Amino acid sequence: MRKVFHVAAREFIATVTARGFLFGILLTPAIVLFMVFLLPRFTTKSPPRVDGVVAVIDRSGEAGAELAHYLSPAAIRERRLEERRRLREFAASEIGSGVTAGAILGAAPEEPLGEVPHITVVTLAPDADPEREKERLKLSLAPRPADGVLLAVALVPAGAVVREGDGFDDYHLFVRSGLDDRLVDELQAGLEGCIRGARLRGSGIAPELVAELVRVERPPARVVTAEGERKASPLMNQMLPIAFMVLLMISVITSSSSLLTTTIEEKSNRIVELLLSALSSRELMTGKILGQMAVGLLILLLYTGMGLGALASFTLTGLVDPVILLFLLVFFVLSYFTVAALMAAVGSAVSEMRDAQPLMMPVMMVFMVPWLLMVPIGSHPNSLMAVVLSFVPPIGSFVTLLRMASGTPPPLWQVVLAVAAGAAGATASLWFAAKVFRVGVLMYGKPPTLRTLIRWARIPD
Amino acid sequence: MAAAIVLEGITKTFGPTTAVRDFTLEIPAGALCGVIGPNGAGKTTLIRMILGILFPDSGRLSVLGCGSAFGARDRVGYLPEERGLYRKMRVREFLAYMARIKGMPDGDIATEAAAWLGRVGLADAADRRCEELSKGMQQKVQFITSVIHRPELLILDEPFSGLDPVNQRLMKDLVLGEHRRGATVLFSTHIMQHAEELCDHIVMIHRGAKVLDGSLRATLEARDARIVVFEPLDSGADPAALERVEGVQGVERDAASWNVLLTPAVDLAVVIPALAAAVTPVRILLRRPTLEDIFIDIVSGAAGADGLRAGLKEAVGEGNA
Repeated sequence: MRKVFHVAAREFIATVTARGFLFGILLTPAIVLFMVFLLPRFTTKSPPRVDGVVAVIDRSGEAGAELAHYLSPAAIRERRLEERRRLREFAASEIGSGVTAGAILGAAPEEPLGEVPHITVVTLAPDADPEREKERLKLSLAPRPADGVLLAVALVPAGAVVREGDGFDDYHLFVRSGLDDRLVDELQAGLEGCIRGARLRGSGIAPELVAELVRVERPPARVVTAEGERKASPLMNQMLPIAFMVLLMISVITSSSSLLTTTIEEKSNRIVELLLSALSSRELMTGKILGQMAVGLLILLLYTGMGLGALASFTLTGLVDPVILLFLLVFFVLSYFTVAALMAAVGSAVSEMRDAQPLMMPVMMVFMVPWLLMVPIGSHPNSLMAVVLSFVPPIGSFVTLLRMASGTPPPLWQVVLAVAAGAAGATASLWFAAKVFRVGVLMYGKPPTLRTLIRWARIPD
Repeated sequence: MAAAIVLEGITKTFGPTTAVRDFTLEIPAGALCGVIGPNGAGKTTLIRMILGILFPDSGRLSVLGCGSAFGARDRVGYLPEERGLYRKMRVREFLAYMARIKGMPDGDIATEAAAWLGRVGLADAADRRCEELSKGMQQKVQFITSVIHRPELLILDEPFSGLDPVNQRLMKDLVLGEHRRGATVLFSTHIMQHAEELCDHIVMIHRGAKVLDGSLRATLEARDARIVVFEPLDSGADPAALERVEGVQGVERDAASWNVLLTPAVDLAVVIPALAAAVTPVRILLRRPTLEDIFIDIVSGAAGADGLRAGLKEAVGEGNA
C-alpha cells in the first residue's frame, strides 16, 4: 500500500504542477468571472449617444407632439432609471440581493446615467412627400448637414389612430442605413406608445387608467420548508442542477483524461518496465488512478468552493442542499472510477495518443449522452428516460445528480439503486482495466482493437 | 552456496509462439552470470519472469529464497533493455521516487543518490530535468535506479546496448563493483565478447531453450582448440592447399589471414606441421574456441552452422556499431 501511495503522490504532483494543468484549471473560472462581471458592462441595452433628427409625417395629428416628448432626453433618462430599478428588483427576486448581484447589474439607480441620445423630432406637414424625405436618408453624412443628420422618417397615417373600415392602419418607419438597432427599437416603442395613447383617448378612455387596470404585480412564490420559508427562484432552480452536472463532468473528464495521457507517456517513454520491476501492474494502476482521483477532487473542491462563494455573494446559499454536495462527492467517486479505469486500460494498450482515439470513442459517448439530454432531463427529471438512465453506469451518476438538484428530486429508492448500479459499474470497469493493463502495458507495436482488449481481459491470471 | 535464482521447467508461450521452453536453471548467490543468445532467443522473457513482470505458464521459480519473484522485488535491481525516465522530473527527484518504490528508507535516499551521481560523474546534474541530459547521461541515471537500493540480485537486460566505448567501460566497472559488493549479477547480452569479459557463469539460450549452462572457464576449457589462424607468407597463396591437408574441415578467408577449422579430435602435433608444409606461413596461431564458436557448435544441429555464424556475426557487428 505504501508503494501505491508513492505512485499516487507522484502522479498527483506531476499533474498539478504542470503548466498546462494550472492554465487549464484557472482558465475556466477566469472565463466565468469575465462572463459574470465584465461582459454585462461591455454589453449595454441602451442605445449609444446619437445626435440627429427624426422627421414625422403625422397625418393623424395626434402622434407627433407626443413622440417629441417621448424621445426628449429627459424622458429617455427617466425611462432608463425606471428600467434599471425594475431589473434590480427582478434580480433581487431571482438571484439574490448580495453584492455580486449589484456587481453584475452595474450601477445603482441613484448613480448618474451615461449620456442619452439627443434627438430632435421635426413634425412635417401632413401632405409632405414621404418619398422625398426618404431620399434625404440616403444623403452622405459628410459634410454634416447644418440642420442636423436625418436619422429616420416616420409616417403615421390618419387610419393608424382612427378606425377606418375593418381596422387600423399601420405606421411606417424608414431609417438611415447603419442606425443602431437599439435606437430603432426605441423609435418603434415611442411610435407605438403614442399611437396606442391616441387610440385610447379617441375612444374616450384614459391611457393611465388602462395601464393601471392591466398591471398586476407578481410577487415571488415562497418555498415552505421545515427550516422556514424562502423565496422560490425558478431561474436558479433551472441553473443549479445543470451547474452540478457540469461540475461533475469537468472534474471527471479532466482527471481521467490526464490519467490516459500519463499512462501513454509512461509507456512510450519506456519507463513502465522499470516501474513493473518494483510494483505489480495492479499496484501501478491503482496508484495512478488514486493520484488522478486526487486531481479530480482538487478540481471539484476548487470549483465547488468558487460556486458556493458566488452563491453566498448573491445571498443564495440556501438553495444548495448539503445532501446534494455529499452526493456530488459520491457520484464523482463512482463515475471517476468507472471512466478512469477505462482510460487506464486504453492508455496501457496503446503507445501513442492518436492510437487511443478509436478506443476512446465508446468512453466519450458516455459523456455525450448526459450532455445532450441535459435539458430534457432537467425539464422533466422524473420522466421514464431520466429514471432508466439513472441506472446505467456511469451515465447514471450524472443523470441522478441532475435529477437530485432539480425542483422535483427522485425518490430515495431510485437514488440508492443508482448508487448501487454505479458501484457495480465501477467494480466491473476496474476489473476489466486491471486485466487489460496487466497485458497491455508491456505490449508494443500494432495498436489493439476493442476486440483485442476484450481478449486480453479474458486471459487468466 | 545458496542459489539466488532457481527455475524448474519454466515454459512461457505467447499465442502460438513458445518464448521459453522447459527452462531449468540454478544461479548461485554471488555469481556473475551472463545469459547469452541471439536476438529473439527468449532472454528478455526469461528475465521478465524472474522479475515477476510476466508469469510462466508452467514450472516453478524461486528468487532469493522467495517462492514468488514478487516477494523479492525490493531486493532486486533491474535495468531493462527498453529503458526510460520521467522527462520532466529532476534527476534527484526521479532517483528518490525509484528508490522509494523499491522500499528504500527515506533517510538513506538523498545520501545514496548523491554518492552514486558523484561516482558516475553526474554530481552537477542532480537538479537538472531528465530531458536536459544527454543520452549517455540518461543511461547512467537509469543504471543508478537499478542499484541505488543496494540490491542482492542485479538483473541487467542488454546493459551495454547504445553505449559508446567509454561508457561501456564505465558500465563494466560499475557492474563489477556491484559484484564485488556481494550482489548476484545476471545480465543478458547478444554480444558474446561482453559475456566473455565479465562472466564467471554462462547460460546460453536459443529459441527459448537452454543450450549451455556452466562456468565460463570450464566451458571454454572443455572445448578442443580447433581453429588455427593462418597468415600465409605469399598473399596470393591458394587456401585450397590447406583444405587438402588431412584433419582440416574447412578454411575461411578473413582479411590477411585464414581461419582453418580442424576436424574434432585431430592430432595437433601432426596437423600443424602439415599446414606449414602445405603453405609457407608468416604466422600460425592456435585459437581456443570463443563463446561464439561454442554456441555455433552447440546449436548447429538446430540450424545450419553457416547461417548461424552469419547471424551471430551480424549480431556482434550490431553490438559493436
